[in-house]
Amino acid sequence: MNFLDRFIEKSARHLARSTSRRSLLRGLGGMLVGSAAAFPLLPVARAADKGKVKPPQEKGDPTSCDYWRYCAIDGYLCSCCGGSYDTCPPGAEMSPVTWIGTCRNPVDGRNYVISYNDCCGKTSCGACLCNRDEGDRPPYRADKANDLNWCLGTDSLAYHCSTAVLIGVAFDEKK
Amino acid sequence: MKGAILLALLLYGVCVSAGPINEARAHTNYQLYCQGCHSPEGMGHKSIPRLAGRVGSYLKLPAGRDYLVRVPGAATTILSDRDLAEVLNWIILHFGGKSTPKDFKYYTAREVGNLRSRPLLKVREVRRKLHEQLGYSGK
Repeated sequence: MNFLDRFIEKSARHLARSTSRRSLLRGLGGMLVGSAAAFPLLPVARAADKGKVKPPQEKGDPTSCDYWRYCAIDGYLCSCCGGSYDTCPPGAEMSPVTWIGTCRNPVDGRNYVISYNDCCGKTSCGACLCNRDEGDRPPYRADKANDLNWCLGTDSLAYHCSTAVLIGVAFDEKK
Repeated sequence: MKGAILLALLLYGVCVSAGPINEARAHTNYQLYCQGCHSPEGMGHKSIPRLAGRVGSYLKLPAGRDYLVRVPGAATTILSDRDLAEVLNWIILHFGGKSTPKDFKYYTAREVGNLRSRPLLKVREVRRKLHEQLGYSGK
């Protein structure tokens, strides 16, 4: 018992000598700030395949309709609405059901698979309307039609804006 | 002679393991014609059928094998018979997991061409019956 008392006393004195009362606050503060940096607190939706593809070199302005990823988009650019070309603005939910096409990256000349996930759950963004229809098909070919509201599988059908998520390198039959 | 036998065995091994599938082409076609609804991992969503861990089980029934081709999402796609057969085989091997029978026979372009000429009209009814026979509940 004596040994246990001595051990606890020694440890407590050591702790008191080597730490200040404010160190607890400092530690807690650091932990809160650090975890906020590591895990964003805002609910930002991301397309599931993002991150599996090595991002290519790109040039251009993602808030401009001319940007290469938008070759088959039809809608408001999320880049102009508080999100980016592959994330929804805060408060909007990314549709898990989407239409997918390919665009040619002018920097490396390769074709990439682009997923045009809509962001839903808020009223129309109204900024940067972009309507480029490469590969667009009439609504009776629903899987390749960009005129449809793709807010499917989300809590709300309200369309807000569109993303252009790069999900792969397209197969090239000639290679 | 031994060398020839070894070479034949080696070639047989390569053919069996690789199968008639171009991985890159099949994956791109999955992304372009299937993934938008079935999701990158084949998990489906709400009313969209799940492929992962399940799609291979349809092959246990002759009507189930036909169903995977005749379902409108497959039958009416713009893919050629060859590419549709390839992406179906890729899906079964990639997502089927333990649900895929060990004696799974690849779809051929000819088989797919024949089946897709008769797309299903009453999809839900057919799927429900198949699921009853396979012992599935739900989608």
